[in-house]
Amino acid sequence: MALREQMRKGTTNVMILNLLADLDRPMYGYEIIQELEARSQGYFQFKEGLIYPRLHEMERQGWLQAAWQGTEGSRRRKFYTITASGRRRLDREIQGWQAFAKNVNRMLGVETAS
Amino acid sequence: MSELDDLVARIQAQMDLDAQTEYDVLSEIRDHLEEAVAQARAAGLDDGEALLQAASRFGLEEEIGRQLQAAHQGWGTADAVMAAALPVVGALILRWLAFAPNGTALGWPQLLSRPAFWIVALVALLVPLLKFERWRYALATWVLFWGLTVLFVTLPALRW
Repeated sequence: MALREQMRKGTTNVMILNLLADLDRPMYGYEIIQELEARSQGYFQFKEGLIYPRLHEMERQGWLQAAWQGTEGSRRRKFYTITASGRRRLDREIQGWQAFAKNVNRMLGVETAS
Repeated sequence: MSELDDLVARIQAQMDLDAQTEYDVLSEIRDHLEEAVAQARAAGLDDGEALLQAASRFGLEEEIGRQLQAAHQGWGTADAVMAAALPVVGALILRWLAFAPNGTALGWPQLLSRPAFWIVALVALLVPLLKFERWRYALATWVLFWGLTVLFVTLPALRW
């Protein structure tokens, strides 16, 4: 369980980037967390509030672009889209993950399909 | 104060950000919690249970507040440099536009007929709005721009 939690923490950013790249449309925080949970099929338990520091950090890094929709007084909602820089980051993260998983599997003697 | 307000206030207590950033962050969190509560109600929970479930799924407010604070610390450094540089650069361009090569200041008709002047005016308004999304800063930049324009045109002796 602790390993799973550590892995989730370490891969949350790449999962968010991947989701936004995959769906290729603006999404807001609640929507993102719901979609991530659905995709994980209950394997990962996300604390919903912790997604916001991640989103804001990635916005700061330029990997995500955010835009508010709605007006003062009505419901204002912040939508995130992945940027070109975010897509390049996602590619690097996926390559890094594949290399990591391949080497861990090799060291553990676990056979993989590839 | 509702329990949802109380939860948002506990997150806010962990943060020390500029007013606009804090307002935006808390608006986003409130929107999340309101939607989570609404969905829990729609699933059959009463108001109290819905709020408890939303708060539980959201996580510990102290930890979230701390992480949000950390995510935004230093946020303003690059922006602050740009925000400080923008009026200076704008003033220099304005000075270049407002004075003829011989040092005499252009009058209003000549200045207002220059497309470059209006481009600078638009940049002074739109860059703060689009880049920083701070309407007060955009307004301040806009006021500064026009204040300098009036100074340059009406008081040419101020050339520097």
